Amino acid sequence: MNTDVQIAIVGSAGDGTIAAGDILRRAMAEIGYRVISFDLYPAEIRGFGKCIARLRVSDEQAYSLKQKSDILVSLDDSHAIPHVGEAREWGAVIYETNSVNPLPEGAHLSAHIDPGQVPYNVPIRELAEKSTGAARSRNIVVVGYIIGLMRLPLEPALRALTGKFKGKGEIAQKNEAALRAGYEEGLRWFRLDDIEFGPPPAQERGAHLEMINGNAAIVRGALDAGIDTFFGYPITPATSIMERLASEMPKRGARLVQTEDEIAAISATLGAGFAGARAATATSGPGLSLMAEMLGFGVIAEVPSVVFVSQRGGPSTGMPTKHEQSDLNMAVFGGHGDAPRIVIAPTNVEGCYRCAGRAFEMAEAYQTPVIVLLDLYLSNRYETVPFPDRPPFEADTNRYADTRGGAAGFQRYVLTADGVSPRSTPGQPGGMHVATGLEHNELGRPNDQPDMHLAQSRKRHEKLKAALRHPGFEPAKRFGDTGAVDVGLVAWGSSFGECLEAMYLAQEEGIRCAALKVLMISPFPVEMATSFLADCKEVLVPEVNYQGQFAGILQMQVPRAVTRMTRIPCAPMRVEEILDEIRRLAGRVVEPQAA
Amino acid sequence: MSDARHHVIIGSGVAGNQAAETLRARDPDSRITMVTVSRLPFFNRYDLPRVFRGERDWRRFVIYPAEYYRRNRIALRRATKVVAVDSINQTLTLQHKETIHFDTLLVASGARSYLPEELSEYRPLLLGFGAFHEAVQVAETLPKRGHVIMLGGDTIGLDLARTLIELRHRVTLLADDYTFWPHEVSEADRPRYIAALRNMGFEVIEAKERGSLAAVSQGAPGLPARRLVFKDGSELHGDVVMPFFGNVPILDFMIGSGVDIERGLLVRPDLRTTHENIYAAGDNCQIWTDSVRRYCFYHGWKNVRAMGELAARNITGANEAWTPQHDESLRLTADGKILSPFWEYQ
Ligand SMILES: Cc1cc2nc3c(=O)[nH]c(=O)nc-3n(C[C@H](O)[C@H](O)[C@H](O)COP(=O)(O)OP(=O)(O)OC[C@H]3O[C@@H](n4cnc5c(N)ncnc54)[C@H](O)[C@@H]3O)c2cc1C
Repeated sequence: MNTDVQIAIVGSAGDGTIAAGDILRRAMAEIGYRVISFDLYPAEIRGFGKCIARLRVSDEQAYSLKQKSDILVSLDDSHAIPHVGEAREWGAVIYETNSVNPLPEGAHLSAHIDPGQVPYNVPIRELAEKSTGAARSRNIVVVGYIIGLMRLPLEPALRALTGKFKGKGEIAQKNEAALRAGYEEGLRWFRLDDIEFGPPPAQERGAHLEMINGNAAIVRGALDAGIDTFFGYPITPATSIMERLASEMPKRGARLVQTEDEIAAISATLGAGFAGARAATATSGPGLSLMAEMLGFGVIAEVPSVVFVSQRGGPSTGMPTKHEQSDLNMAVFGGHGDAPRIVIAPTNVEGCYRCAGRAFEMAEAYQTPVIVLLDLYLSNRYETVPFPDRPPFEADTNRYADTRGGAAGFQRYVLTADGVSPRSTPGQPGGMHVATGLEHNELGRPNDQPDMHLAQSRKRHEKLKAALRHPGFEPAKRFGDTGAVDVGLVAWGSSFGECLEAMYLAQEEGIRCAALKVLMISPFPVEMATSFLADCKEVLVPEVNYQGQFAGILQMQVPRAVTRMTRIPCAPMRVEEILDEIRRLAGRVVEPQAA
Repeated sequence: MSDARHHVIIGSGVAGNQAAETLRARDPDSRITMVTVSRLPFFNRYDLPRVFRGERDWRRFVIYPAEYYRRNRIALRRATKVVAVDSINQTLTLQHKETIHFDTLLVASGARSYLPEELSEYRPLLLGFGAFHEAVQVAETLPKRGHVIMLGGDTIGLDLARTLIELRHRVTLLADDYTFWPHEVSEADRPRYIAALRNMGFEVIEAKERGSLAAVSQGAPGLPARRLVFKDGSELHGDVVMPFFGNVPILDFMIGSGVDIERGLLVRPDLRTTHENIYAAGDNCQIWTDSVRRYCFYHGWKNVRAMGELAARNITGANEAWTPQHDESLRLTADGKILSPFWEYQ
């Protein structure tokens, strides 16, 4: 890559750290770079907890943040000091040169800069005060400074700023002054770092780049797929899906209802699905637990419905603002009885968009609940996504029964070769039937005979297999070296990004390495996984949960020894750790990690 | 913080770095902190003319890699300015209001180039040459075969001019009392030395012949970027104007510290100041010299380096006196060129 620059801004709640990161990433995206960005903020709403905005700017879309940042900015030394080591050798450390109060030895960031890092001691507060009359815009000064220092155009940042403070006249003006002051300052400085911003890549034809986070991409996908109804109950980190839909759906004549709880939400979603609407709900792990019973109903009654689940730390209330991938078992197996459903897990923000749209298609095509499994990291992280100018989704993938002139006794659950029975919607003449949670016969009437139970169970399982060949959807994809490899990674969800990054680094070290991205977890792409694993001397399965839930599913489907790499750091997995594990498996010596 | 002795050094030039190296060798368990305004790690400033040969990557100038400081446990506080020293409490205050305690302090803050009062109003039109970024700026401003006007001279300027002339730039020297600084050249000898400069390719204008400089301004469009007007009404045009009028010690932060200062910090032959735990070394100190019974400056990087080493030795228990490293007189070579002992880099 010509451009691959990661910027980390560390501050305290109230410093505008996240806002600074947001303006920067929008500006970078507008310039034409690809961006991936993930913010870290304290669980507490008020207080002075640590906030970190990290963005990686590159000319090809990156799938994870880098271990080391090229530019580290301190808006609050007490929080930034433990992170100084994150700036790489010859990277830039930008910090406030003047302190308001006397400091004991070591309390200023400059005391912690490594001789290999390049200090940029900027009078941030003074610039903010001079340009705006107050110190509040320090964060915006920093944004301007970085843009000036890196000799990037200012206009995109100005536009991002205008967007952020739209309708806030004086505040917008002051921030513009702060941005310009920082920019001028940045231009004045002699560069000592070796950070390079190459020209932005050419835009893809037929697509336009947008800076968007995972939840917003889900919303975009749902809207582009023509969602009709949404029922939901707020829960971190899924809430913003409902919030965004709430402002967008009414504009399109679609309906959204905030229900009293998750049970109501899934029930209403199934009701709408039954009625023929494209219907969805969104929740997190605790909500998914509540929905388990009704999901089973969706399976047996074969009702198209989509459930977006953004995982967070569990079990129970767990850690609402921390990242984890521990609801996989719940998504795939949660509920009683043999209740197969489709579970797809995007690995990046663009994937969120595509999975959201395809989920509606699949729900209709295979008449089943479809769970789209995200996690906090993916929900909240921003990426530049090349959105196609025309949505790539089918507006209607239902298989409707021709019930015209039909006699009484519409066979809603008729046994077919592919297991999908043509459906009808309420009010359709001749299509009347009962949708029930009881095991039923082809007419939908209660039936507990073993033959019928077997036939209907087989139908419900077998019909899902076609989803593995769903048009426009690759259930799994191989990256890296072809043929036999020393180490093969198999990964899912947001962890795949870190795995891919680690794989590329391992390849640079001469390790033959490949990675399998598994997007569809239920039904499992057994064939692809089997042939991939056959190529691998060692198999590594990194995931952010304690049990190795995905590794368990993999081994259930393709019996063979794998190395489970489970970590629960309440944050994304570290690339460096995965790389170490690859090296170890490849027989390379790994230096013991510093504590 | 540990109980180890804390040696603090102000300045990361030749003197400061030599001192740090010696301190680490002689006092392995101590803490060493080097505080410096500079953002760059240490490099030899006599190397700066290399930027005109196309070398613009500062990393190629640096003497010690980052690893050297890590390995020797020298805390290098760059971009950090000392604003006050309290000799009673043995603390120094940094510009950002942090206080550092020291057990011993070595002041090696060097000197800055001097600009005569009457020229200060033209500062924005002049280009300096003390820091790396200034050197790069000159190199980037100067066109191919461009014309440099040097005000004053001094051995730093003359050394730079040697490189510029070799690279086919035109150098006009406005010679005055500073031209051979810090060497002392008598009135009687001066014409021979000026002739030697001309022989070396300099265009020399004795400032007093034109009634000295009246103004510096921006050149008119289409003409070189700078215009100099002399009191006799004559003009000179050049692409770059650079002042070289010797150096003055940097000691603002020592005012009020309770340590004696004349022009430089006054030190005994063992480089100790009037405070028993504060030493000085380098361009900023005047050393008591018994032979002439006064405090003298000693110039050039060899002297400065030796001062850094001596101060560190005495801080760590030696009791040795200063001896200059070389004869400071300016020489004329057989082929009619001048040669300063300060231009010997090895
Ligand atoms: C362009 C140039 C060319 C030269 N060429 C030659 C040559 O050819 N031969 C030769 O013998 N000599 C040459 N010299 C002179 C030589 O470089 C100096 O004599 C020598 O650098 C002095 O060393 P020093 O350690 O005393 O001070 P310096 O090298 O000047 O270092 C002083 C240090 O103190 C720091 N400092 C100053 N004030 C503060 C403060 N308030 N707080 C914290 N830190 C502070 C500075 O950041 C710097 O790191 C040249 C000088 C220049 C500028």
